[in-house]
Amino acid sequence: MRLLIGNHLAGAYESLRSNRLRTGLTVLGVTIGIASITVILSLSGGATKIITDQTAELGNTIAVVRPGKAPKEARLRDLTSSIAGNQPTSSLTEQDVASIRDTPNVVAAAPIMLLDGSLTAGNNTPDDVSIIATTPELSQVTNLPLGDGQFIDSTTNKDTAVVGAQLSVDLFGTEQSIGRTFRTHGMDFTVIGILKHLNNPVNYSNVDFDHAAIISLESGKSFNQGVAHIQQITIKANSPEHLEGIVAATQKALTANRQGETDFTVLSGSTLSQPANQLFSAIAATLTTVAAVSLVVGGIGIMNIMLVGVSERTREIGIRKALGASGAHITWQFLIESLMMSLAGGAFGYLLGYLLAFTAARIFLTFDPLFSWQIAAAAMGISLVVGLLFGLYPAVRAARKDPIEALRQYH
Amino acid sequence: MATEPTTPVITLRGLTKRYGIGDAEQTVIDELDLTIEKGEFIAIMGPSGCGKTTLLNILGLLDHGDDGDYLLDGRNVETMSSARRAKIRSNHIGFVFQNFNLVPRMTVIENVALPLTYQGKGKTRRLKQASKMLATFHLSEREYYMPWQLSGGQTQRVAIARALVNNPSIVLADEPTGNLDSRSSHVIMQELADLHAQGNTIIMVTHNPDLTSYASRVIHMIDGRIASDTKTPRPTKKNPAPKKRLDSNTSKKPAKKRTKKAGKK
Repeated sequence: MRLLIGNHLAGAYESLRSNRLRTGLTVLGVTIGIASITVILSLSGGATKIITDQTAELGNTIAVVRPGKAPKEARLRDLTSSIAGNQPTSSLTEQDVASIRDTPNVVAAAPIMLLDGSLTAGNNTPDDVSIIATTPELSQVTNLPLGDGQFIDSTTNKDTAVVGAQLSVDLFGTEQSIGRTFRTHGMDFTVIGILKHLNNPVNYSNVDFDHAAIISLESGKSFNQGVAHIQQITIKANSPEHLEGIVAATQKALTANRQGETDFTVLSGSTLSQPANQLFSAIAATLTTVAAVSLVVGGIGIMNIMLVGVSERTREIGIRKALGASGAHITWQFLIESLMMSLAGGAFGYLLGYLLAFTAARIFLTFDPLFSWQIAAAAMGISLVVGLLFGLYPAVRAARKDPIEALRQYH
Repeated sequence: MATEPTTPVITLRGLTKRYGIGDAEQTVIDELDLTIEKGEFIAIMGPSGCGKTTLLNILGLLDHGDDGDYLLDGRNVETMSSARRAKIRSNHIGFVFQNFNLVPRMTVIENVALPLTYQGKGKTRRLKQASKMLATFHLSEREYYMPWQLSGGQTQRVAIARALVNNPSIVLADEPTGNLDSRSSHVIMQELADLHAQGNTIIMVTHNPDLTSYASRVIHMIDGRIASDTKTPRPTKKNPAPKKRLDSNTSKKPAKKRTKKAGKK
């Protein structure tokens, strides 16, 4: 039996057009839901893409070791948990760094130790500063272009530091701050290098280098009772093919260092690209929940309007059945109407979502939302499912109407 | 072959239809036995509430009997799936409703083309066929009117055009002239008589005894039973119409076409 999709499309278009306001409001419900989903997907996709691009820039040779178990799926309750990377204790030790360096095919392994505290130069004490204690290898494993001066290396003094471009401005009022000093943890540091302006607070090191002061690991240890408190070890392999082997070897070496305990995570490839910040994941999870709720509400709107349409057109259903329409014909007639509304909502929502994502990205964020066919497919797929799910009941109800009863109804 | 009364097209055996439950139960059709041959023109008469319309609805596969069998072309349609019943309605049955039942938000031509939609015909073919059918009823200038813009007689003619557009072998008409004056009534009746002359089976419910002169068989119903069943001696086609049809000279061509198709069935 032919389904007469073309006829139903024309008929549905006519009937939706004759109730413009009603159709528009119903479509709006789906639009809002799909728009929020598009915003979430495009922004989190954009953030992920930054990290992917960064590792790709270094030839996909980067692996990262972090303390703690592997990050789980984003959950709403992560919103209230402490943020990874700022754990008060870390399970990673200098011995781990040494073991990784001894692994074959490793070019460099750089520990990152994040320190609390503030910097002072003259009367300036900028907020929002990261103090990183690390080894000279950091410049090898992370793309850190220097604007001026040099990076810390094995021959530089203990009391020297490299600062980010924005931090230099915040501290000294200029990006030309070589030779000037700042004070932290009761010790004076001399600036020997300034990083170029990077403007990528999202990266696999979890550090905004524009606002960072980089000091040597020894200095960092001296502020922490001589213990290195390493939040991350970044590993660079000599070629992408060896990365997998290095990850396995690192896993093994670090497990051996801990007598079998695995309280660390080795990340590489796509797992590394996942937004590392749990707050980010938690916000995404919250927004997804909101979007899901608004989609359900939008779907209920569709169902409601379709039920109204079915009861308004009861007599028409009776006539159509008497003239030879089968139940399937009637089902499709109404299902296509609800699908038309939900898909229109999906299309508008997709456009509105990108409008919002770009606005938000331009005002608040440092990266652009991601464009990909997956997001378009998700928007269309979800709206299709909403239309089917919430349109099916009214359509089946219409098809089940007894023709005699339906014909008897006046309106 | 037009009126060869040998093949029973409709056979009812002990058909019963009840409404309501318990004490309020009411038997509308009471163990009705009826055989209708191909090519008969039947007028069903009787007082209000005697089950005429219910019987017509059951014959048109719009309703189900509660008991008994209904054989259409030798097949029991009571046990068929609703999709198969829809297919039979679509291909073999034309229904003229008492209260017209045009779809109010569709134009006249869309209304007439509607049955063809469910036969899966393309849009151009549908509209062409509907237009031809409307021309038969002298409604060509009204094709793109909305149903509420038509007079009662025009509306009824549109309703009949819609019932005939899919070349049904059985035409069921529930008081097709109910709301019309006698002149318009006879125009409609002449059209049904023409259809009958081409070999179609026509079953009509009416209150108007004048119109039974067109029928080849008159059935009187009382309380869900057949009270009398008389075959009129002369076949309808030789019956002179009480009033000459206004447009009989122009309706010849499409009428011929219908004969050909009806002959195949």
